[in-house]
Amino acid sequence: MLVQNDMFTPEVIADPYAYYGRLRDHDPVHWNEKYQLWVVTRHDDLVWLTRHHELFSSAVFKNDPRPPYPAIDESDFGLYEYVRNYQGDQFIQHDRPEHLEMRKVVHGYFTPKSLEEWRPFVRNAVKHLLDEVEEKGRMDVMRDLATPLPVLVIAEMMGVPEPDRPYIRQLAEKLLYIGRSEHDRMKPLTEGMKGMIEYVSPLVDERIANPGDDFISVLASGEKQGVFTRHEVLVNTSLLLLAGHETTINLLCNGTLAFLQHPDQWAKLKQDPAGAAKLATEECLRYDSPVKSIQRIATQDVEVRGKTLKKDDRVRWFISSANRDPDKFEKPDTFDIARWPNQHVAFGSGVHHCLGATLARVEGQEVFKSLAERFPGFQLDNEALEYQPSITFRSLKSLPIHWQ
Amino acid sequence: MARQLRVRVDHLLCVGNAMCETFAPNVFRLNDDRQSEAVNPAGDSEEKILEAAENCPMSAIIVEDAETGEQLFP
Repeated sequence: MLVQNDMFTPEVIADPYAYYGRLRDHDPVHWNEKYQLWVVTRHDDLVWLTRHHELFSSAVFKNDPRPPYPAIDESDFGLYEYVRNYQGDQFIQHDRPEHLEMRKVVHGYFTPKSLEEWRPFVRNAVKHLLDEVEEKGRMDVMRDLATPLPVLVIAEMMGVPEPDRPYIRQLAEKLLYIGRSEHDRMKPLTEGMKGMIEYVSPLVDERIANPGDDFISVLASGEKQGVFTRHEVLVNTSLLLLAGHETTINLLCNGTLAFLQHPDQWAKLKQDPAGAAKLATEECLRYDSPVKSIQRIATQDVEVRGKTLKKDDRVRWFISSANRDPDKFEKPDTFDIARWPNQHVAFGSGVHHCLGATLARVEGQEVFKSLAERFPGFQLDNEALEYQPSITFRSLKSLPIHWQ
Repeated sequence: MARQLRVRVDHLLCVGNAMCETFAPNVFRLNDDRQSEAVNPAGDSEEKILEAAENCPMSAIIVEDAETGEQLFP
């Protein structure tokens, strides 16, 4: 056996690049016996697969009759049914033609032009968060910057009143159990989902009656058009919170860590923070991608690199290895903030390319620019870094740093 | 008569999100690599073409006035 089959061991969680890189180089379309799924690791295969959405369904929760992996407590199977119904109503868990109709409702809210108008808000939020910590000489990047920033932005987009924001953050924490490995994860997950539905319901009622220019009003307009059911409006509101939260946290933490570990690149960013931030953010997205992998379900038998992926097979494609593919990137393991072109697949590709990509970019650019403008450099409090046991997200547990 | 446009898709940026096909279906078509190509710049109105360009998540669509060379997007 080329590699051991457990993708949730501490070694693989700590360093996904060694494990998935070995697969990419020796068995790029690999059958994982333990979890009964295909592991796809090359850049070109990932692009091909994501652009052939008709062969690989995104309706994973609806189309996968198998129990979740890693295993959950048998007594929680009822909760899992709730999770399936909930997740299944996310627009990203649909295929065309429904997916296109749903995406069209929300797409305009996230165009580069629309999100450029959010840049001043993001810049100001970053400034305030950094004002809080600057004098202290230390911060936990996760707690003090990376977590509050996306919640502030999303709460503003949703029109959530300020006193409710800590509660929203608590719910978001629970929703994050979706990609984890704990056997009892269904409990916090369903609590988060039910809490979100309960919290968002009156907001949706209100926006149906009095539409504004916020994101919930946009989803509610989809209900009026007959594209979304009420449950779908509720679920997709909370999808914004989930999808825009953990991913952005990871971009900001993993990116900051990359700069800490590469002082030469930090020096380069400091020379011209405003000018370098754009390409630097792309390199952060590539080098230590916020999302490690995404799953699909084969809609028919498909041949890939001599292997037959059977109809209904689980297919998981790995961004972490594709973004380090030497056939695509020169010196793939080098962190180079001037890298161009940089055709990373941190946001996927094809018709399901991440809706919030531009928002993540704006947040990343503003944070890395501000850090470089305001701070001389950082040191880690502790060299030992810990990651969440997730196959989906590349999430540090915390990132405490200090500076002179 | 409507002015002539030059429409290009930057394939270093295009991720095949295919929203351009939705906004200007007679102009944009996905090729074998599932990246967008402007197959007929006169296929839809200027308004639709600019809408397609604005809705590209990668800002990969470049629209110019064919006669003056003036860049209309991005």
